[in-house]
Amino acid sequence: MERVAITGLGLVTSIGIGRADFWSALTAGRSGISRVESFDPSAYSAELGGEVRGFDPDPYIRRQSGEQMGRASRLAIAAARLALDDARLVLSPEDAAEHGVVMGTTSGEPRLIEQYNDTRQAEDSSALTPEFFPQYPCQVIPARIARELELRGPSLTIPTACAAGAVAIGYGCDLLRSGRTKMMLCGGADAFSRITYMGFARLGAIAPERCRPFDRNREGMIPGEGAAVLVLERLSDAQARGAKIYAETLGYGVRGDAHHMTAGHPEGRGAVAAMRAALRGSGVEPDEVDYVSAHGTGTRSNDRMESVALHELLGERAARVPISSIKSMLGHTMGAASAIEAAACCLALDTGVIAPTINFEEPDPECPVDCVPNQARQAGPKIVLNNAYAFGGVNASLCLRRYEEPSA
Amino acid sequence: MSGRPRAFLAQSGVASVLGIGVDEFEASLYAGRSGVRTDAGPATAGIADFDPREHLGKKGLRSLDRAARLLCVALNQILSDPVPPKSDDSDGLGLVCGTMLGGLDSIVSFDWSGLSDGVKYVNPGAFPNTVINSAVGQAAIRFGLTGVNSTLSAGASSGLYAMHYAAELIRMGGARLIMAGGVDELSDAALDAYTRMGLISPRGVVSPFANDRDGTAPGEGAAVCVLLAAEDASAVDDAAPVELAGWAATHDPCEPSGYDPQARGAAEAIRRALADAGIAAEDVACVVSSASGSPTGDAMEELALAEVFGGRLGEIPICCPKAAHGEAMGASGAFAALIGALALKRQELPPTRGASSTSLCLSDQPQSFEGKHALVTALSCGGENGALIQKIWTKN
Repeated sequence: MERVAITGLGLVTSIGIGRADFWSALTAGRSGISRVESFDPSAYSAELGGEVRGFDPDPYIRRQSGEQMGRASRLAIAAARLALDDARLVLSPEDAAEHGVVMGTTSGEPRLIEQYNDTRQAEDSSALTPEFFPQYPCQVIPARIARELELRGPSLTIPTACAAGAVAIGYGCDLLRSGRTKMMLCGGADAFSRITYMGFARLGAIAPERCRPFDRNREGMIPGEGAAVLVLERLSDAQARGAKIYAETLGYGVRGDAHHMTAGHPEGRGAVAAMRAALRGSGVEPDEVDYVSAHGTGTRSNDRMESVALHELLGERAARVPISSIKSMLGHTMGAASAIEAAACCLALDTGVIAPTINFEEPDPECPVDCVPNQARQAGPKIVLNNAYAFGGVNASLCLRRYEEPSA
Repeated sequence: MSGRPRAFLAQSGVASVLGIGVDEFEASLYAGRSGVRTDAGPATAGIADFDPREHLGKKGLRSLDRAARLLCVALNQILSDPVPPKSDDSDGLGLVCGTMLGGLDSIVSFDWSGLSDGVKYVNPGAFPNTVINSAVGQAAIRFGLTGVNSTLSAGASSGLYAMHYAAELIRMGGARLIMAGGVDELSDAALDAYTRMGLISPRGVVSPFANDRDGTAPGEGAAVCVLLAAEDASAVDDAAPVELAGWAATHDPCEPSGYDPQARGAAEAIRRALADAGIAAEDVACVVSSASGSPTGDAMEELALAEVFGGRLGEIPICCPKAAHGEAMGASGAFAALIGALALKRQELPPTRGASSTSLCLSDQPQSFEGKHALVTALSCGGENGALIQKIWTKN
């Protein structure tokens, strides 16, 4: 079976655009959270968000009309171009049918729903043109990328909510390993939306001041937005062209909790099953895991559940293995989150540095984990698990490995 | 190839305008019945008298939106079978479904409630159904499915892409048994979109490939099939005689509502699916087509078939089930895979209502054929092209 290399990282986030800016902000512990600007949050009894500011994705949109295109598609196209540039990969058109794209998302293009309802409320449907509607179904996000970069292989979306990015990367990896494709762009994208914001606000899940995963006094999550795209290639191709290889992707697991639409299973049933499935598919033992990129939303129940699940998987090592949540900096970027986190895992494997969990003050006896508090750490991980949990009871884990140059 | 697990199709469940349950669906389809209605305005193929209580009882329905109810009704048929599927994976049964729009009505209504009632009065309990994977999530909770849990979106091809995903998982050794299918509901917003985009047949007739075709009828439904792994066909009993032998997906760089007039991606997907199954175009005995009555979409599909099959195209029996069940969006590809399996078992394709074509072997009567392989297509506007080769396994 083909081994799969990750050779390019494209990021559009609230703390930085592009791999280098993202990574320096992330390892510096910078926060992308501020008062929401894309709409007036005052009605929502919350006010913080992780919006991507001061970035114009339109220059990345060169081969199609960006008019009416939704924000998630714009963020995604920018991330895809950045990823391909980062990989220094020039795609040969004769292989285009073996170049594909799989994107994860929670909400697709929710702002089109908002526009739709705004026109209904204003009783003015003049904006509802035949061109308006087809921008909505969530497969447009990868389709726009495919069109922009002339990919003619499989193009699809994995809308498994907040676990979507990890599943998209896992499935893209499978399509390479089975020999079906030669290059896959995989990741996730979600746009800041009043629908999402209202939902989490009404659930009382939004933190009033800071997102502080695993802290005893954590008060919730903070909605964010962004996009990340990873370039996946067959390892042999990447080696042959002398590509920079950030990491290898080994396998993934996705399992249902069969418990509740919004709350994780209290014993982390699906979370444990997903991690075990990912490790089994990767040929890796739990003992070998030396860094976990946590789902770590900062809600009381998620972080406790995830800690329980990690103790179940890792046993006593769970208190020692570094387990950090970059949602402390970015907020929860929904379907993009686990793709952005996968990129952070690649950079951890490549540089040896683990990004911190910021805003951490007081350990929680219910979450006895080493969350790499407040300061990035040189730890040199070799095998990492990237966890992602979602509405619908979806639990996904992706397993990545440090790339070792073959000895001559 | 030897020793690699292969995917076989066993039990199925259906909720459709042609009937609830595979038997009703099959009987309606082969009798040439149509689910397309025009009595309420534009042509639609929604399930007018859908009552989930008849099939699921009253309990626990309130939190399920229409998409989730459709999916649960289909799944219930499989899981209440006297011999329900049993996963030998300790993680339990898995489910992967394609959907184009998810529970669109839940999403639109949730936002609308914020606008019309005010944010403070929005029901937080309605939020979970706004995620696109809510139907699969709800179904997994209702039926205790703790295995693989995934949702795919690839426009009107979503259902077939979910079959690809599940079959790939089996081939890669990631599952020994998995349920795969598709689901979509016909919501007011979806109907509004189809209407304003001018996709609905003004005549109220879905006549795929016909010269006078003028559009489709948006529909809905759910279909789920059990896929089993086996290293070799003889290990599979008579209940699962149809193999998913080959598949492929490609993309065309067209507008989100358009098709590639040169059918490059569609032809490529079919060729690759044939190669994946290790067969030649000559081996295909019948085609279950995704043609929906769309002037441009059907033209693209006919061109793709002509590219692949050449002069033999006029001799290969074809059926277009969307003439009967309309454009069921995410469910269409799952319906098509199920129909391909039924056709191979019967060695007979269902009729295509109102069929008329000078160049294709279409009929408004069932068409018998002899052969082992069926081609199923799922070609969506926006460029998602899926193809699947199914193969009948017979003892001897």
